[in-house]
Amino acid sequence: MNHAVISCLHANLAAVEAVLDDIDSQGIQTTTCLGDLVGYGPQPNEVVELVRQREIPSCQGCWDEDIIDGLNACECSYPSQLAERRGHRAHHWTADLLTEENKAFLAELPMTLRRDKLLFVHGSPNSQHEYLLPDMNAFAALERVETAGAETLFCGHTHQPYVRELRQGSIRVKVQQRDQGAPTEQELELPMRRIVNAGSVGEPRHGSTKATYVIHNDDTGEVTIREVDYNVAKTCRAIVDAGLPEVFAWRLSHGFEYAERAEDASHVCER
Amino acid sequence: MERWALVSGLQGDLDLYEQIQKELKQQRGVANLFVLGDLIGSQRKCNALLERLRQPKRADLQPDCIYGWWEEQLLAECGYRGERKAEALRAEQGEAAVGELLAAVDADHLNWLASLQFGFIELDCALIHGSSADVGDRLTEDTSALVLLDRLTRLDVNRLFTARCRRQFRLELSGGSIQSHVKDHAGEQQSEQAVPKRSVIGIGGGRHYTLYDPATDHIEFRIAGGPSNASGRGFG
Repeated sequence: MNHAVISCLHANLAAVEAVLDDIDSQGIQTTTCLGDLVGYGPQPNEVVELVRQREIPSCQGCWDEDIIDGLNACECSYPSQLAERRGHRAHHWTADLLTEENKAFLAELPMTLRRDKLLFVHGSPNSQHEYLLPDMNAFAALERVETAGAETLFCGHTHQPYVRELRQGSIRVKVQQRDQGAPTEQELELPMRRIVNAGSVGEPRHGSTKATYVIHNDDTGEVTIREVDYNVAKTCRAIVDAGLPEVFAWRLSHGFEYAERAEDASHVCER
Repeated sequence: MERWALVSGLQGDLDLYEQIQKELKQQRGVANLFVLGDLIGSQRKCNALLERLRQPKRADLQPDCIYGWWEEQLLAECGYRGERKAEALRAEQGEAAVGELLAAVDADHLNWLASLQFGFIELDCALIHGSSADVGDRLTEDTSALVLLDRLTRLDVNRLFTARCRRQFRLELSGGSIQSHVKDHAGEQQSEQAVPKRSVIGIGGGRHYTLYDPATDHIEFRIAGGPSNASGRGFG
């Protein structure tokens, strides 16, 4: 059976509607959302209400968390102080606009969702703020999946969709203990694991303006990365009309690949 | 190059610290003393040791200290860690242990304890109480090699010295590899990554301490005041 995984909706209603239409048109009954329903975009209430109305199971993203708990990310989550100021402006704008009911909904979202050996998170099993990029150290990436007890890890946060398979791994170790004579040697065979990044519906950063999401087949394990056209101009106009930083509209209309990504992508915010 | 002495888990035991200082003076070439946390504990008054660490005697090898699990518990309980309290200690040893810990350390040491760092990076080595993931992370020779490699990778160091488990061991990652296949909008890429030659070293705790020579990568596990001192085992 096919199911869809969406992430990083970012209050972009036109993109969310287009993606849900695309999912419906394929007869897919199950959709899972990996968080960041709000932030950057101009329609936070509309997007949260659509997700609630469609009863889409969702994890809590870093933006969802910050809107509830207050700004939790340190400045090094942004590539520059200018970007941080823009992010904070969007945060306050979103926090002011969101209804109490929608805030309560975001507050109760779980950090992770699990279905058998499939684990759904926003950033990584460790943190909503950790980026699992496709070129991350392969052993560290495998550790994230394996330690969480999953076979396939679905994540978002990077806004770049990809499917990564980690296989045929092994680690040889030599152990010397205080009271033992000769060191002992052993080899650990590592299991095959997958990381599936769903990209971003509302703020794509994969080099195109199209919204992205993934379809996973439970039976075959096949993953399809979908790109969906939507009315980008409509969202850009709404961003400008709302008084949000115009650069948000500018980068949406260009689909820039590295917009607003942290310089140190492996950084995990501890503030 | 000069050797390092790596000590942890003194838990307020000044006599033990003096014994280790005495033995280090008898060792050739030991120039650095790193105290990897758990300076304090709940079992005895810790003030005399803390005063000695903060104001060493002239003949002492000057200690460089970091905080450990016990300091983390005390600082959390005393409001130095935001809303967190000493929940790990409560869960592990009960409410009484929290009270004993508070009684074991005078309040005028708290700011100094709070100023201690999480760890040191010296040359290509990380000196940490637990691991790069958490001060309470208990790495042992039985911990999954995948987890150990992750903890090394997070700090991008070749050697991670850990104290939390209080055991003495050296575990070398000596080989292996993994294949990575990535499919994205740009196409497909295949790559292979080899296991880097890196080590995790358990330095022991309390009477068990470790000497390390960064020039030769030689490790010597020792016991303070013990008969095995004369035959402290070295691993090159």
